Amino acid sequence: MRKSLHPLTLWIAAIFLAIGVVALDSAYIAIAIVGVVALFVFIRRDGSPWNMSFPLSLRIGATILAIRTVVGVLIGVPIPGRTLFTIPILHLPSWMPGIRIGGAVTLERLSSSLHEGIIIATLIALFGAATSLTSPHKLLRVTPSFIYEIGITLVIATSLFPQLATGVRRIRTAQRLRGIEKVKLGSIALPLLEEALARSLQLAASMDSRGYGVSRKRSRYRPQQWLARDSAFILLTGLLTLVMVAQ
Amino acid sequence: MKTSRIFTFRGASAVTLFATSAVSALGFIWPFLLKHKQGHPQWIFLIAVPCALLLLFINVSNHELDAKSVALLAVLSALIAALRPMGTGAVGIEPMWFILILAARVFGPSFGFLLGTLSMVLSASITGGFGPWLAYQSFAAGWVGLGVALIPKRLIGRAELFALALYGIIAAEFFGIAMDLQFWPWALGADSQLSYEAGVPLATNFAHFFSYHFLSAMAWDIPRAIFTTTLIFLTGKPVLHTLRRAYTKAAFLNPIEFIERAKEQAVAK
Amino acid sequence: MITFSNVSLLYPHSTKTILEDLSFEIEEGEMVLVMGETGSGKSSLLRLINGLVPHHTGGILAGDISVDGISTRTVKPGALAHLVGIVGQNPLNGFVTDIVEEELAFTMESLNVAPEVMRKRVEEVLDILGLTAIRSRSIATLSGGEQQRVAIGTALVMHPKVLVLDEPTSALDPIAAEEVLSVLHRLVHDLSVTVIIAEHRLERVIQFVDRIIYIQGNGETAIGPAEEILQKADLVPPIIKLARALHLNDIKTSVRDVRRQTEDIRSRDFPNVASSTHAVTPAIIVSDISHSYGAKRALHNASTTIGHGEIVAIMGRNGAGKSTLLHSIVGLHLPDSGSITVNGRNPVTLKGRQRRHAIGYVPQEPSDLLFAQSVGEECAQADSDNQLNSGSTWALLNTLVPNIALHTHPNDLSEGQRLALVLSIVLAANPEVLVLDEPTRGLDYRAKNLFTLALKEYATQSNRPVLLATHDVELVAELADRVLFLAEGEIVADGTTLDVLLSSPAFAPQVAKIMSPKPWLTVSDVVTAMGNSE
Repeated sequence: MRKSLHPLTLWIAAIFLAIGVVALDSAYIAIAIVGVVALFVFIRRDGSPWNMSFPLSLRIGATILAIRTVVGVLIGVPIPGRTLFTIPILHLPSWMPGIRIGGAVTLERLSSSLHEGIIIATLIALFGAATSLTSPHKLLRVTPSFIYEIGITLVIATSLFPQLATGVRRIRTAQRLRGIEKVKLGSIALPLLEEALARSLQLAASMDSRGYGVSRKRSRYRPQQWLARDSAFILLTGLLTLVMVAQ
Repeated sequence: MKTSRIFTFRGASAVTLFATSAVSALGFIWPFLLKHKQGHPQWIFLIAVPCALLLLFINVSNHELDAKSVALLAVLSALIAALRPMGTGAVGIEPMWFILILAARVFGPSFGFLLGTLSMVLSASITGGFGPWLAYQSFAAGWVGLGVALIPKRLIGRAELFALALYGIIAAEFFGIAMDLQFWPWALGADSQLSYEAGVPLATNFAHFFSYHFLSAMAWDIPRAIFTTTLIFLTGKPVLHTLRRAYTKAAFLNPIEFIERAKEQAVAK
Repeated sequence: MITFSNVSLLYPHSTKTILEDLSFEIEEGEMVLVMGETGSGKSSLLRLINGLVPHHTGGILAGDISVDGISTRTVKPGALAHLVGIVGQNPLNGFVTDIVEEELAFTMESLNVAPEVMRKRVEEVLDILGLTAIRSRSIATLSGGEQQRVAIGTALVMHPKVLVLDEPTSALDPIAAEEVLSVLHRLVHDLSVTVIIAEHRLERVIQFVDRIIYIQGNGETAIGPAEEILQKADLVPPIIKLARALHLNDIKTSVRDVRRQTEDIRSRDFPNVASSTHAVTPAIIVSDISHSYGAKRALHNASTTIGHGEIVAIMGRNGAGKSTLLHSIVGLHLPDSGSITVNGRNPVTLKGRQRRHAIGYVPQEPSDLLFAQSVGEECAQADSDNQLNSGSTWALLNTLVPNIALHTHPNDLSEGQRLALVLSIVLAANPEVLVLDEPTRGLDYRAKNLFTLALKEYATQSNRPVLLATHDVELVAELADRVLFLAEGEIVADGTTLDVLLSSPAFAPQVAKIMSPKPWLTVSDVVTAMGNSE
């Protein structure tokens, strides 16, 4: 089993790299970083459900890139330069402030929109990578005690989430077998809601019985170690960021 | 003696709520307030708003959440997050709002605020959709929950349902505007015809924004409003009933009495 | 260890007293069973011990409860966590984290126990409960028995002197139930932990128990040694019924003791009653089906035939493939290979009304089918779905379980009432086949009796097959004609109830264990045989 990193390491690294990418403002370097990060995620993935976050974040980033580019091409302030192609001009009613949709699309206009989109997509990919390689349980375990209560709420919710998802399927099955073919949100949401609320009351009783909220201080079982490799990782990314910022 | 109370913003936590909301609100509307073209205010708020959220969370975590509130929050936000994927594929079809609004109505606006914020954070952590928008989305969803306080308590029955449905429309549009507001600088950058411009009269910027918003409203906000309102009308009564039963069963603020012997109680009656 | 002095309990919004003037003392190291029908106040009694009632739920409490000298009036439930550990009815609902080890640590973290102490205790508890192998597993993926043990572990981790459990074996198959109960037995006898347990399936617990607290229907509570209480109780496990039927002088609670008492009966010869096998026309034909979920093979070459009017039980350990077989028969999915016909039709093709009429299915969680706000609404819905006269479903419900108010919310019903409601809804469609998944979880003996009668009536009067997946051995002994036994996806036994149940020691009913090697499964079998021989 590959030795794992402290849950915060990847997040700090992601933040560093994000700062660097924004400061350097080069689309090519950004794409290169996304490539390296993708490779890293691929190597270190372990089949857990949150591994899906990275491909999802890539998709989100790509969508934003597309939106940005399309918007920029259609209604962007024209940047003079080499015209690539022309879109027919669409005149809008006069109550919309004199916008001109279409017109000549220049290389500069296109590349400017793409450039900004790529930077944003890179940022999202960086955080998506950090999410996909960090177990939410481990992350919540290192939440400091001053946000313990919110932290524990999120821990419970994260544990419950897959169980509720199976609950939806189970109820749907039962309803189908009652002959209700059309899936009505009401006929699934209501039993699910009832079940979820009943669970929460049992959970609250269990928590109270086990001493939640009794002591003002809380101890931590097996505090996650900050190892040498974590420091090394952070140092490396920190140096890289400094280099990027200095450019 | 009474059993615990459901989470409510009071005293210091209420102050923190206002302060952090103010900072976050600034994060939404700064494009309208710029006098001179500044370098990257969007980056400043990118850090400020999440910090505000964190601060709020820290404040709330200060022994204000009892076990019942934690359990209800956890379960309801997990439910909301579980129902969100039901809407993938269709824009604006988000079942989360009607539950958020109805839950806020039954459990209180403070609870509603936390529910909105936590649902967004939870959703993001599950789908990996962390982006510059997360803190903004959280506040906006929180305000939707908080805003239920505007509906008078004494409304019941059909009047209540109407009021909630109306609120649903307003909230859907509000959320749409909020999302577009914070996305505006990101999506359009500073150099499109619809971008914000520093220093120009408010009216011009408003006009730019609403043109931008108009396009996305068609796609997202109006379907969201219709969907939410329909759900509130169709399932509002049973869902409210279920939530209220749970609130009663949770035994918030129930009296705890110790008496000497039951015979005394009988005599006293 | 635990003292109740003149305890009466009243909940804030009701006028009915839950407990009246209850006084008793429980010594250290006793195992006490709390017995009573559903709704009699067992859960409230249990929760009084650690202070959940009234601190968590509210309530008016008269009298005093003290545990090891500390009164529950003065402390919050959590502050008693080092004295009283409580395990609720549905352990999965009480878990905070998803990893076994962390779950065990949660209690100690909340109480600010030092990390080294926590490490030590977690290891201890993992050892005592045999959980070391699964310490880093996700709790949701564990079996019911493992989850139950983890739940007990979370309570044990504070070294409590008292352990309170609410229906710990209801969701478990007989073998897992045995594991849990023997762990409890060991805690009592090796570590002198006081264990208080509430349970419906008395037959499983009865031999371990020292004393019984019996909350009777009329509100009175009787406390005493197990044998004494059981002499006069209304609803008793088969072992006691047998003793009563045979007019034994002493009531004993363990199989071994009763065997000694009945030696002479077993040494007599009884005429063999030829079991009347009448030819049955096949209704459900399962041919050679196999099905896998991904890499996991759930069913392998399963074949059987179920005839009209037969009541067939499907048994096996959790994960053996019972649900998959049931789901295949009901037509939820098309099996990877092989075929199934239900009354000549492929069940997968059934839809809507047709399906309702062809197959009636009662799921494991009956409330999955319920989404109306009142019993009346559900019945009306069933009436209109099946185009019946209004009031038909309600009438059916009344014959099963009388005295349910029309406006009651379905989730406010007791387990038995809810099952009756779902059964009425399903039967309203007049299905040709009835399929039930684990129907008797959480039912007390009275509800189970009614349920058994209802099913027998359905099968014999309309000559229709009933298929049920269950762990409840006693139910199978009373009700089923045939048993299908599944293990690792294959049908390893398929025969009459008598044959199959007698050949498996773990899954044999109490009467069979006592009367072995005689071929009797239920008390009525014994009585009939003895009657015939005279």
